[in-house]
Amino acid sequence: MHKNKKCTKFAKNIKRIGMEKLDGKYDFSLYEYHNLLQQNILVSYKGPIDERIMNVIGDNIELVTNDGNDKAKSKIFKIFMELAQNVWLYSAESCKTASGRKLGMGTLVIGEFGDSYTFVTGNVVRNSDIEPVIEKCEIINSLDRDSLREYRREQRRLGGDKKNSGNIGLIQVALTAESPLDIELTPVSDDESFFSVAVKIKKTVN
Amino acid sequence: MEDIHIEGVHEAFFTPTVNFEVATGHCEISGESYLEETSKFYARLIEWMKKYIAEVKGPLTFDFKLSYFNTSSSKCLVDILDVLKKYQNDGGKIEVNWYYDDTEEELEEVEDFILETGLDINKIPIEI
Repeated sequence: MHKNKKCTKFAKNIKRIGMEKLDGKYDFSLYEYHNLLQQNILVSYKGPIDERIMNVIGDNIELVTNDGNDKAKSKIFKIFMELAQNVWLYSAESCKTASGRKLGMGTLVIGEFGDSYTFVTGNVVRNSDIEPVIEKCEIINSLDRDSLREYRREQRRLGGDKKNSGNIGLIQVALTAESPLDIELTPVSDDESFFSVAVKIKKTVN
Repeated sequence: MEDIHIEGVHEAFFTPTVNFEVATGHCEISGESYLEETSKFYARLIEWMKKYIAEVKGPLTFDFKLSYFNTSSSKCLVDILDVLKKYQNDGGKIEVNWYYDDTEEELEEVEDFILETGLDINKIPIEI
């Protein structure tokens, strides 16, 4: 807290330098953005995702979830790996590395609310691709735990393509989190939407 | 036919440690499994098993000691269990031990592998 106060004071005293050189395009306050993230957010990332980013964020989550017991931490890690992987593979927004690898772009956030952590991922999707995923999420949320396990067994048996493994990923996430998937789909254009998945994980898992 | 020895690594991807021995039929997969090319990695192990079953025709003891595997890996683990089940049905001698972190969720996971493959798997809890 003390540290924050000091920074605020300092910010009041400094002037923005070099603004005119940016030709008025700098209309974004990083300080406000930082303050927004200070509210319950432990880690946030936006940008391309690959195994190196996943590795670093995966390790960092472990460092900041201090209130979580080992079992909770292991759950958060498992959930993170599946959801981040989905953004990497299925985001409609992507970039290519020099070697031609496609990296999906998206946002990953882990927050802390009372006795739980919330892990959220979001990315742009093509509406035509997301329909079956939404249907799957509705099925996942409608099933009790035993039926969900049966669903995982059944789905694991189906083909081995990437799309399918993503669907098992969501079933796995719901089973690991022991909570439903909180799905939000916001249209961003005629054929694309922003798709986000949030799950809650208790800080103390028995 | 040769043994398989793969040293596990925990870098950006996680390669499990694998030791498959022709002389004893003892096979162990341990560590963490999150791979760039999951199917390709496990295809080599399954190929080894099929060759062992066809040529050596000896017993197979499998120890799974994975502390983490992602869902893509879990599909390949089912493929391994399927090969073992088929060998057992054909008269092969097998034993499968699954070491798991002692949590309800992990136990459910092993039980689901048993239900999914129809294979007898010894469930061995370890404290985390």
